[in-house]
Amino acid sequence: MDRRDFNRMLALSGGFAVASQIIGNGNILPEAWAGETVAPIMARFPQKTDMILLTDRPPQLETPLKYFETDLTPNDAFFVRWHLSGVPTSIDTRTYRLEIGGAVKKPLSFTLRELQTKFSSATTVALCQCAGNARSLFVPRVAGGQWGFGAMSNARWKGARLKDVLNAAGVQTSAIQVGFKGLDTAPIPQLPVYQKSLSIERALDGDAILAYEMNGSPLPMLNGFPVRLVVPGWYATYWVKALSTITVLDQPLKTFWMDTAYRVPDNAGAEETPQSLATKTVPITSMSLHSIFVRPTAGEQLRAGQPYSLQGVANDGGSGIRKVEVSTDDGKTWSDARLGNDLGKLSWRLWRMDWTPPGKGTFKLMVKAVSNDGAEQVTAQWNRSGYQRDVIESVEVVAI
Amino acid sequence: MRTRALFVAKLLIVFGVAMTVAAAAQQPSRPSAKASMAAKGPVHEIELPQYPPDLPDGPNKAAFDQKCLLCHSARYVTMQPRFPKAAWEKTVKKMVDAYGAPISPAEQQQVVEYLVAIRGPEGK
Repeated sequence: MDRRDFNRMLALSGGFAVASQIIGNGNILPEAWAGETVAPIMARFPQKTDMILLTDRPPQLETPLKYFETDLTPNDAFFVRWHLSGVPTSIDTRTYRLEIGGAVKKPLSFTLRELQTKFSSATTVALCQCAGNARSLFVPRVAGGQWGFGAMSNARWKGARLKDVLNAAGVQTSAIQVGFKGLDTAPIPQLPVYQKSLSIERALDGDAILAYEMNGSPLPMLNGFPVRLVVPGWYATYWVKALSTITVLDQPLKTFWMDTAYRVPDNAGAEETPQSLATKTVPITSMSLHSIFVRPTAGEQLRAGQPYSLQGVANDGGSGIRKVEVSTDDGKTWSDARLGNDLGKLSWRLWRMDWTPPGKGTFKLMVKAVSNDGAEQVTAQWNRSGYQRDVIESVEVVAI
Repeated sequence: MRTRALFVAKLLIVFGVAMTVAAAAQQPSRPSAKASMAAKGPVHEIELPQYPPDLPDGPNKAAFDQKCLLCHSARYVTMQPRFPKAAWEKTVKKMVDAYGAPISPAEQQQVVEYLVAIRGPEGK
């Protein structure tokens, strides 16, 4: 089956699942729908390499899958997602300040240099993943950023511990949350500025970092220079970029971005159906267990009888990956993949498995991971916002 | 080309003028190599390029250009799958109710008409 036949198959199938799977593997622009095949549009933004363009204003740029063959995602290939078109485009480190205020004994203000020198630094490798990563694979389709699998990236973060900075200011006993705001601004005054909050317990548990370095370099502007909140294990909605204001709160933060957006059904799998939407929702938090193929990509032609290295990545929300299993026969049998370097429980884990297509034909490959806390992936999942995907992924390839 | 695209963007924002978009849409604007690099000194600066999509003609495209492009790129629409009219109505209402978009009920209907024309079940 050549490329044209494959496209025809897609068109005839009319099936979202097939089309979505292709989209998810980054071969087709997210504009594709029900068999439409369009070449992805690549875009080059400042300090970034060629990225898959979702939107240009504000920028939403997806990391091409080829960058997922290494443990750490290069800074220039790290995915980009801003909410408001008032993206900070000029930052003067002489005037930049990180302000800590609210329910604290002593409000503080730090320059970037002070943040780097007044606090001992913490370093952690952590996966940053958009809550809506792989949204384009949800069936029925949902509105929102039509990401494939590339709304995530893995980096080594260095910065001051949030806990240390909060303790320096002295958290008052009335504190229940900590709010975070960056330098991005809304294009119209009515539009709610982007801000998020963590519970005081989460903010003080020692995990979160005020990161001023990723992979040994300052953050690219579009990834949050000069300081980004890193909340390891939690979805990127909390990883506020170009962080400028930290406010300790004795009342819950009231904002569209906590109260309306970034919420999931109040159950373990973030599950609901279009016919029966969950009546209770909660803010999305910890990342789901998930695993994907990086290679091959859907429709890729392999050689019958020739060894091929299947590769991918797996992650969860912080317990770490216990094992990754791969099926090359549509889920009938499963084999353990070899796990790559262990960079800590908050990092993703690369996996690899050698496979030789036994003959010519079409093969459906599947991958699923098991986490250290015993969680397993599911065969189907849906919610109205396309969040927190934890579905067993598959990819169809052709051996010739 | 960059200057021209930026100029067009400003026109859109200030006057809601739409007619010139199609001409500029074919070619994305690119920042110069210099602008792509953050400064080595204290000031870190970038210039964001624009990649406006080639939008199809359709009923009330002017309303779409004027109201929607105020806050975001048309790619927010062109990246979406096709949705039925009810879904587009819900989306436009969300822009007004949740994000405060200044679009009157009559204008909302116009915008929906264009969205359905280009991204409805049988759109272009």
